[in-house]
Amino acid sequence: MIRTHDLRKTFRVREKGLFGPRLEKTAVDGLDLLIPPGRVTGLLGLNGAGKTSTIKILATLLRPTSGTVTLDGLDLVEHAREARRRINLIAGGERMVYGKLTGAENLRYFGRLYDVPAPVLRRRTGELLDLVGLGHAADIPVERYSRGMAQRLSIARGLVNDPAYLLLDEPTLGLDAPIARDLRRVVADLATEGRGVLLTSHYLAEVEELCRHVYVIADGRHLAEGSPAELKAATGSHRAVRVTVTNPSPGLTDRITGFVRGIGAEPQLAPTADGGLLVTVHHPEDIAGPLAGAVVGAGGAIGGLEVTEASLEDAILALADGSAGPGTGAGTGPRAAPGPRSGAGAGAGPAAPTSAGTEVAA
Amino acid sequence: MPVAWATLRRTWTMTGRAYPWSYAVGCLLTGILTIGLSYLALHAVGGGTVAADFTARTGGADYLGYIAIGAGAFMFTVRMLLWSSKALITEQRQGTLGALLVAPAGRLPYLLGFTGFALANTVVEVGLLGGFAALLGITLPACQPLAALAGVLALAFAVFALSVVLGALMIVAGEAHISQNTVFLAVSLLCGITFPNSYLPEPARLLAETLPVTSAMDVLRGALSHGAGLADLAPRLLTCLALGAGYLLLGLLVLPGAERRAIERSY
Repeated sequence: MIRTHDLRKTFRVREKGLFGPRLEKTAVDGLDLLIPPGRVTGLLGLNGAGKTSTIKILATLLRPTSGTVTLDGLDLVEHAREARRRINLIAGGERMVYGKLTGAENLRYFGRLYDVPAPVLRRRTGELLDLVGLGHAADIPVERYSRGMAQRLSIARGLVNDPAYLLLDEPTLGLDAPIARDLRRVVADLATEGRGVLLTSHYLAEVEELCRHVYVIADGRHLAEGSPAELKAATGSHRAVRVTVTNPSPGLTDRITGFVRGIGAEPQLAPTADGGLLVTVHHPEDIAGPLAGAVVGAGGAIGGLEVTEASLEDAILALADGSAGPGTGAGTGPRAAPGPRSGAGAGAGPAAPTSAGTEVAA
Repeated sequence: MPVAWATLRRTWTMTGRAYPWSYAVGCLLTGILTIGLSYLALHAVGGGTVAADFTARTGGADYLGYIAIGAGAFMFTVRMLLWSSKALITEQRQGTLGALLVAPAGRLPYLLGFTGFALANTVVEVGLLGGFAALLGITLPACQPLAALAGVLALAFAVFALSVVLGALMIVAGEAHISQNTVFLAVSLLCGITFPNSYLPEPARLLAETLPVTSAMDVLRGALSHGAGLADLAPRLLTCLALGAGYLLLGLLVLPGAERRAIERSY
């Protein structure tokens, strides 16, 4: 497994111009991560949170300023070349394949860079092109590929050395929905085959679908971790129940409000375009039935009922805003004192969401 | 050397699909104009004779032969540097540097493969320039083929070594034009390309001696113009190889840091 301990990366950048004073910018600040085989692990954060720097360190492209990174016990800094045989990187924002070469030529060239024996490489080239659905385009120069095809070839390139660990930095960036769905299926299969996958993505539904464990970072620091369901629960991101009442009256509204407050929530009331009333209630439990019963019991007529599950996006935004309520166990607010956390090194299984107690970038 | 061979084949294929004609024609025209204008200057202005002090400094009166060798060597140097030193920054610009660096292959075989392609390509282009010189009736009066081949190989090694250092500088700076043109200017002024560098002031001559192209040019001129054999040229040949090895070592030492700096710049 890939394990980082107290990982830090500081860049020295000039404030302005060629001769301006140099400032230190901390991109990664004491991260403990664990990427076990056979699982897709998510790494989430807002722009500038340190995701890409972290991935580049894990890919041996950057050296950490301090802290350790090991891959199956191998120090990634001291044994970078050996580690590179077991990992690969796919970055959605970069092309990472040669436009003037065909798909097959690209894979054959990168295979040689990984010292893949020629007979294995010949077989693997065909298999990988078929895996990403490019078997028909093997002999077409990549510059004539669509963006989605080039991205799928990039995925195949990332598998050319049969890596034990795959680092995916925004792999579906800018792809059409059907192509992104196909790629998600490939990624899920890779983990099922036993590979360790680290995934960063701005598409939180994608992370929610693929990742069994997610790290949330902000300003390079650990903010929370857990399964998507645990993160949602821990941040108080609840499912929403929306009931449209077609015959609202002041008395009816009071009785509905009383019922909702009685179950520990606060209703959001909004008139609808056709003179009705939309009642929205956020609650951790499934209260659709009791709420509908209360409306009917108070003499109301229901024009519509909708239940929306809480999303990981809600949870991440809550964490980033530092708005997670007290007692949720994650993200105790932007000014919370540093608290203990179980850390990534605690084990490979889903850990309870924990708080780093850091200042959160809004 | 599977990586070097794969890189050579890859670059050959890619270049074959998009040969940079404008670059090649531009470099060829520079050489053709240098020789052509020298031909006109010698016959229309100089009356077909050269100054005594040129003869004294070069050991011969064959001005056009001197110019043709210099123009050919300069074209060789420029074209080789353009290909080899820009290998990594080209990867960076086309978005493939990360994919290259994350692979375990060493950088030396990669650069050797790239330079092997550049050598094959450049030899053909310089051959075309030689053909133009021959059309003007320019000949090499006393050529020692073996020593000349050693001179070409020494020049290729010198340029390769310089290109590794220059390539590292380019990916750190994130630009190619200023750094490559500075080197081209220094080579053309200091290394005895179009005039003997004994015309230069002492500090410039000392600076010229730190560039392996200068000693490689001495070997080439000795072999092509003066009929000097390998034994006579050995001291300058060794100087070129020693300086080249120094530049190569320096380049390979700074390259890993330069690559990390290039990745950091994109953070």
